[in-house]
Amino acid sequence: MAAPTVPESKQLQYISQQAADSRVNVEFETEDGMTLNIGPQHPATHGTLRIITRLDGEQVISCEPVPGYMHRGYEKLTEVRTYPQVTTLINRIDWLGSFANEVPFILAAEKLMEIEAPPRARYIRTILFELSRMANIVLFLGDLGAQLGGVTAVFYAFRDREFVLNQIEAVTGGRFHPNFDRIGGLKDDLPKGWIAETKKCMTRVHDFCDELEDLLIGNEIFQARTRGIGVIPANVGLSYGLSGANIRGSGVDWDIRRDHCPPGLVYDKADWKVCTHPDGDSFSRSWVRLQEVRESAKIVDQLLDSVPSGPVMAKVPRIIKVPEGEAYVATENPLGQMGYYVISKGDLVPFRVKIRSASFNNVSIVPWVTRGVFVPDVITILASLYFILGDIDR
Amino acid sequence: MGLVEKGKIPKRLNDLLALSRKYSIWCYQWGLACCAIEMGAAFVSPRYDIMRLGVIPFPASPRQADLVIISGTVTDKMAPAVRRLYEQMPDPKYVISMGSCANCGGPYWDSYSVTKGVDQLIPVDVYVPGCPPRPEALLEGIVLLQERIQSEDPVERFRGEPIVVG
Amino acid sequence: MNQLSSADTEAPPADQQAEAPRDERREALISLFSAEIGDAVVGTHIRAGDDLWIRITREAWLETARFAQQRLRMDFFDFLSGIDWRPSPYGRDMDSQEDIVVHGTEPKEPPAMATGYAGGDTRFQVFARVFSTASHEGVTLKADLPDDDLSIDSWVPVYAGANWHERECHEMYGFTFNGHPYPVNLYLPGDFEGFPLRKDFPLLARRVKPWPGIVDVEPMPGSDDDEGAEGGDS
Ligand code: SF4
Repeated sequence: MAAPTVPESKQLQYISQQAADSRVNVEFETEDGMTLNIGPQHPATHGTLRIITRLDGEQVISCEPVPGYMHRGYEKLTEVRTYPQVTTLINRIDWLGSFANEVPFILAAEKLMEIEAPPRARYIRTILFELSRMANIVLFLGDLGAQLGGVTAVFYAFRDREFVLNQIEAVTGGRFHPNFDRIGGLKDDLPKGWIAETKKCMTRVHDFCDELEDLLIGNEIFQARTRGIGVIPANVGLSYGLSGANIRGSGVDWDIRRDHCPPGLVYDKADWKVCTHPDGDSFSRSWVRLQEVRESAKIVDQLLDSVPSGPVMAKVPRIIKVPEGEAYVATENPLGQMGYYVISKGDLVPFRVKIRSASFNNVSIVPWVTRGVFVPDVITILASLYFILGDIDR
Repeated sequence: MGLVEKGKIPKRLNDLLALSRKYSIWCYQWGLACCAIEMGAAFVSPRYDIMRLGVIPFPASPRQADLVIISGTVTDKMAPAVRRLYEQMPDPKYVISMGSCANCGGPYWDSYSVTKGVDQLIPVDVYVPGCPPRPEALLEGIVLLQERIQSEDPVERFRGEPIVVG
Repeated sequence: MNQLSSADTEAPPADQQAEAPRDERREALISLFSAEIGDAVVGTHIRAGDDLWIRITREAWLETARFAQQRLRMDFFDFLSGIDWRPSPYGRDMDSQEDIVVHGTEPKEPPAMATGYAGGDTRFQVFARVFSTASHEGVTLKADLPDDDLSIDSWVPVYAGANWHERECHEMYGFTFNGHPYPVNLYLPGDFEGFPLRKDFPLLARRVKPWPGIVDVEPMPGSDDDEGAEGGDS
C-alpha cells in the first residue's frame, strides 16, 4: 500500500482531538483510504469504546481503539480510600462479574496481613466467584449473538442470567455490586435453603449452555463468520499479555485456578477440567468460553455438596491496618487474569494499588489482529475478544 | 404544531396529545457503564419488559428519540459527546439520569476524570438513584416521567424551557 | 509446579534481614539473572514460596526483558507501571473543611520517603511483571528513574503488550519511554494538565465537597424542599 501522506500518528491524533472537541462521528477520506470512526458508544453496551479505522474499500488498513471514555481513576482513588472502602470501589471494574473483582484484592490484603479465611468462607468465596463468572459469560454469549446478527441469544441470556443473579442477590443483597468479601472472610453466612436453590439454578445453567450450543455455536452462519477470523498465535497473544479464555482459545493450557491458585480459593477440591482449543480464531475463543460456563457450573455443583460448617469470618481487628509490604495476587477472572499489586505502608489506606485488568491487555492486541481484515470481521473480533469497558479504562 | 407554539391549544386536545405522547416514548439508550447492564435488563429481559409501559426501545438514532436514558459514569472525555447527543434530539425531549454516577458522580465523587453529574451538561427530568438502580427502579422512573408528560404544559416544553411539575 | 501448599514454605513471609525459609528455585532464578546482566542487578527480594522482586539499573531494562523472554521463557507479559515513593504532601489538607473538623487535623509534614521491596534510591520507579506460563514462575522487575531524567527504554520491541501500559504510565507519571512507537495519551483528554498518579497531584474535588456520608448534610425528604431542579417555577 502507498505510504501515507500524513503520518498515521498525526492523523489519529488529529481525529481524536477533533472528535473530543466537537464532533463525535468522523469520517473522512485521504488519498490512501477512508477513515471511519466507530463509537464512542458501542452498539452492544459494553460501555464506550471508540475505534478509529482506516479503510481501503472494505479492508482495514489500521484500526486503533481509543479508550479513556470510561476512565474513572481507580488507581488514584484507592489511595484515598481505606481498605474496606476500596472493595466497594473495585467492584465496579468488571461490572458483569463484580464479586470476582473483590477477591484478588482481598487476597492480597490477607497475604500482607497474614490472615487466612476460615474454610467455610473459602468455599463460599469460590462458589460466588464462579457464580459471577457465569453471570458474566452468559451475557457475553448473548451479546456475541447480538453482534453477529442473532438477537435471540440476548433474550435467552438475560433471562437465564436472572437466575444466577438471584442466587447472588440472595446471599449478598446486591444483584450487581455485592461488596461482600471482607478481609478475613465474608460479611455473612449463606441464607437458609440457598444450597438447594443454587443446585436448581445450576441445572438451568447447563440447559442454557446446551441451548446456546445448538442455537449459536452450532449455527452454520455463526461458524462461517467466526472460523478463521482473527487468528492469534499463542506466542503473540502471550507477549501482548492475553489471558483467560482468549489465550486458551489459542491452545495455551494455562489456568490460574488449576495451576497456581492463590490460597483462599478452593478449586483443588473440585474435579473439573481446563478447556483449550488449538485454532486461536474467534470461534475457538467463543467455544472455550461456553465450555467454561459448563465447567464452572460443575465446580459449583461439587462445592455445594461439600461446604464445611464453621465460622465465615476470621479474627480481624476492627480497624484494619495492613502491615508494610508489597503483594501481587492474580486470579482467573471471567475476562482473564486480574491482579492487584498492593503496596502498603502500614496505614489505613493503601499506598499504591496497581490494578492489572484483563481487558486492558486483551484489547491492546486489536490493532495487531485487525490488520487486513474486512469491516464486518472487526465486529466479530471485538466481540470474541470480549472486553468490558470498565475493565479496560478502570 | 402551530397551535402549540402559540399557546392556544384547547385543554381537551392537550390531554389527548399528552396521553398519546406519554405512551409512545421512543427511548434512546445511552449506556455508559455498569448501569447500562441494568438498563439492558429492563429493556430486553422478559422479566422486566419495559415495552408494556409504552416505551419503545432501539430507535435508529438520537434524532428519532424523545427520551434519552443516561446510565452510567459520564467522564470529562465523554462530556462533549453527551452534550452533542442531546442537541441532536428533536424537541420535546426528556432525559432520565440513571444511577448515582450520572446523578452526582457516585462512588467517583472525588475523581479527577469524572463529571460530577450529567445535569451539569444537560437538563435532567428524572433522577433514578441507586448504584446500580434495580430495573424496577428504572421502570418507576419511567412512570414518573409519564406523569410529568401528562401534567406538563406543552407550550413551555415546546419552547424548550424546563418545567418543574408542582 | 509453583505449589504454594507445600508445608514448609507456608511459613510467614521473610523480612529482609532474618530470612527464615529458603526458596531454592527463586534463588536459582536470581543467579541466572546476575549471570546474564551482572552488576545491573542492584537489589533482590524473595518471599519464600511466593514471589520474587529484582531491581535492576535503568540501562539494563530492555536487555533484561529480552533475557527474561527469550532465555527464561517468561513469555507472558503481565503489567508495567510506575511508583511514586514520595509520601503525599497533603495528608488531610486537601479534604474539605467539614471533614477536617470531623477527623481532627493530622501532622502536617509527611513522613520520610521509604521504598519497598528490593530497595530504591529515587522517587520514581518503573516496575513490571513477567510470568512464565510453562513453569508458573513470575518476577517483578523494578528500575529507578532519576528525578532529572524520567526516561527509560521501551519494552515494546520485546513485549508488544507493553505498548498501552507505557502509554498509560506516560500520562499518569510523565515518564518517557525511549523508542515507543506512539507516545500519546491513552486515557486522558489531550488538554489534561498534570500527572494524576504522582503523589503531589491533588484531588481537588475532595476540597470542595465533604466526604458523603461522614456528615449528614442532606435534609430528610419532605423536611425542607430547597433543592429544586434547574431553576423552574413550581
Ligand atoms: S451508579 Fe454505580 S452501577 Fe451505575 S455506573 Fe455508577 S458505579 Fe456503576
